[in-house]
Amino acid sequence: MNLKKYITLTRAGMIESLQFRLGTLVIIAGNLLYLIVVYFLWKAIYASAGTDTVNGMTFSDTLIYLVLATALFNFMEMYIVWEMGRSIQSGKIALDLLKPMEYRRYMFWSYSGSFVTQFFFTFLPTFIVVAAVTQGAIHLGFNLLFFVISVVMAVSINYSIDFLVGTICLYTESIWGINIMKQVIVTLLSGATIPIAFFPEPLKTIVYFLPFQSIYNAPLSILLEGHPQPLALLATLGLQLFWCITMTILSRLFWKASLRQITVNGG
Amino acid sequence: MKRKGLGFYLRIYGKILAQDLKSKMSYRADFIISTIGMIFTNIAGFISFWILFQNFPSVGGWSYYEMLFLYGFSLVSLTPVQCFFDNNWSLRMYVYSGDFIKYCFRPINLFFYYQSEVFDIKGLGQLAFGIGTLAYSWSRLGLDFTPLMLLKMIIFLLTASLIMIALQNAAAATCFWIQNSFYVLDLVTRFKDYAKYPITIFSPVFRFIFTFVMPVAFIAYYPSFVILRPDEVPLLSWLSPLIGVLFFWLSYKIWMKGAMSYSGTGS
Amino acid sequence: MSNIIEIKNVTKEFKVLNRREGLRGSLKDLFSRDYRIVRAVDNISMSIRQGEIIGYLGPNGAGKSTTIKMMTGILEPTSGEILVGGNVPYKDRTKNAQEIGVVFGQRSQLWWALPLIESFKILKDIYGVSDEDYNSMIALYKSLVDIEPLLHKPVRQMSLGQRTLSDILAAFLHNPKIVFLDEPTIGLDVSMKSRIRTLIHELNQVKNTTVILTTHDMGDVDALCQRIVIIDKGKMLYDNDMEHLKGFFGSYRTLKIRMNGDLKQLAGTIQRELPDFSVSADDEWISILVDEERSKVMEVLNQLQRSYEIRDMQLEEISTEEVIKKIYEEGVQ
Repeated sequence: MNLKKYITLTRAGMIESLQFRLGTLVIIAGNLLYLIVVYFLWKAIYASAGTDTVNGMTFSDTLIYLVLATALFNFMEMYIVWEMGRSIQSGKIALDLLKPMEYRRYMFWSYSGSFVTQFFFTFLPTFIVVAAVTQGAIHLGFNLLFFVISVVMAVSINYSIDFLVGTICLYTESIWGINIMKQVIVTLLSGATIPIAFFPEPLKTIVYFLPFQSIYNAPLSILLEGHPQPLALLATLGLQLFWCITMTILSRLFWKASLRQITVNGG
Repeated sequence: MKRKGLGFYLRIYGKILAQDLKSKMSYRADFIISTIGMIFTNIAGFISFWILFQNFPSVGGWSYYEMLFLYGFSLVSLTPVQCFFDNNWSLRMYVYSGDFIKYCFRPINLFFYYQSEVFDIKGLGQLAFGIGTLAYSWSRLGLDFTPLMLLKMIIFLLTASLIMIALQNAAAATCFWIQNSFYVLDLVTRFKDYAKYPITIFSPVFRFIFTFVMPVAFIAYYPSFVILRPDEVPLLSWLSPLIGVLFFWLSYKIWMKGAMSYSGTGS
Repeated sequence: MSNIIEIKNVTKEFKVLNRREGLRGSLKDLFSRDYRIVRAVDNISMSIRQGEIIGYLGPNGAGKSTTIKMMTGILEPTSGEILVGGNVPYKDRTKNAQEIGVVFGQRSQLWWALPLIESFKILKDIYGVSDEDYNSMIALYKSLVDIEPLLHKPVRQMSLGQRTLSDILAAFLHNPKIVFLDEPTIGLDVSMKSRIRTLIHELNQVKNTTVILTTHDMGDVDALCQRIVIIDKGKMLYDNDMEHLKGFFGSYRTLKIRMNGDLKQLAGTIQRELPDFSVSADDEWISILVDEERSKVMEVLNQLQRSYEIRDMQLEEISTEEVIKKIYEEGVQ
């Protein structure tokens, strides 16, 4: 594999995402405000609950979880569905397909630049601040290593889901509808806005059998669990790996089959 | 040339709307998928709400049904912005590609002409969902139902709508100055999700911000008092219709200023 | 006749951001920005009479669209005065808009999803056109072009040519005093180009509409314009009749010859032998632009016949395209 061409794409993406000074500031300010809302909301919720621990999570557990989930969300959000939908509708996709790189891979590496900038500009500062402020609430040990592994798999799963849904745009013009459905399902069922620990029983079980919780809930629970049971850790990572592989294969197959159908029909 | 009054603009809007609806009906698949997407969004929002209240009986002294009322109120008051001002979402694309200039040559109000181009029918699904939620919580709370209450309700719903429209206009208008204004618009959209929480949960500084700087508290909280707790209506609730008009006017000025300053620079 | 447009010493300046190169440059841009002033239009004056068709020409980035934006009221001049039909466009944008029509070659201003006739009806209301005027305009259109098949077709389903045609008709619908056409024939095939030129010409004749045409297609200029204005780098280079323009370079003639072999390559060799004249080649002909004040065409032909076998030849007066090219390159002496 020729690594250089991937690095070139990454670098181009980094330059592009740095072009927007005000944009960067807006994102940071926006996240801060959002987190403030989250803080007060959950503070009020815990105050009304009358107990310190709800569903095994204290107020600071919940807060750390949600702050880092937001940081992860910004880091992973890619708007792939929009981009694919647009280029399919405008016909630009034909040009992208001519590039000497498989489309699925090309899209991923085009986005890898913004992964890098987002990681350093949003996730890392957030993480450092949270770790410093909460002093010891985040255990800094081997769990960090497993967390990184888990995040890498989460990125892959998230991308595969996006790509899979983006492929649907080959069949319909309704990008908005397709995208909003994906976004709503992923955000809710991945635990990005409410920790899955809070879900009522039957729903919780269902969610654990779906790929979405591997995106936010899995890496965050690994990070927050200072001394995990090896077996539990293995189960979480194993499940992630399973979804990582399954979703990659699924999205690939679906894309190939769809593309064939479209080229045959001359769509 | 005679001055163009409200009647003139209403007639033009009516004509465009009628034609637009006619042509939309010919894209049925898109319409259905978008509607399903909208229903999904609303159901997911409701599920998040429900999950929280599975764990906590009340938030900041507001009961489940009162919160549900706020939730329904925010849904209904967000409908006009969805239906009539959805073209704001495309603004940055028109600006980026330079196509925005095509709106500048008509002898009618630029803002009106631009917004009149799109009527988003999906918003009606949200309206139905919101009215259902409102009616349900209304009856559960045992509130009276008199013509006066209904009148108050309508006035304050309109007020709340104006605020949201104002926020969105101002957010969309940022694209005239900064390149990736999508984040600003996205941010404001995310914020409206917090409109459904009582402002009392925040610290005084943020109460001030959410009342006067980012006036999301006017989308549901302040107006709801008039119906929900008629005995303890704060002064700001009574003032909110005025504030709504004021914010709308401000956002309109910002939008127009941006449009005029932009159309010069783009080629 | 009175002047419909009056432009006096108009200048427009812009502030432009200097972007730095590379990854390090982008990081720097994040913290400090560096602007420079660009003068897009530099002290331009002209008067345009009602009913004229004016070709407004210049290379890309010459300042053409900036001037048009000032005339349509979108831009305020940095200094100088503009009067369009007695209005100051920037101050009375909507009043001015009532009196003008605008067409951009590639950007339709019609409602994308609506059939053309519905767009017309909405425009009728927007511009407050009376039923009588509207009907007579539609009748005129029907006499000029075959619009029946277009009327009930949504704009999004039209070909580029049909769309341009529709846009032009829409721009004339409220019988404006002035119509601005920005590259109306760009991207169209030969027959569509000629249909559109005929249409513009007819409408100008019947309605006495002033037409301001920016284009890179000299076919448009030859077919339509009585007068041309050329600007480059914001400065006015030329403003006079078409006749006068040709007279300017009247001593120039184009000698076209046909030979065996690779014409592009041969043109290069000939250029070296005739350094005084500009030599170019297309698929069929080698063209040599000869200034007869320096040497006669026959002398050049004789000289060439000594070293090359010439199969065929033609002699042409200088084309508008070549005149314009010479003005861009050398200016007007």
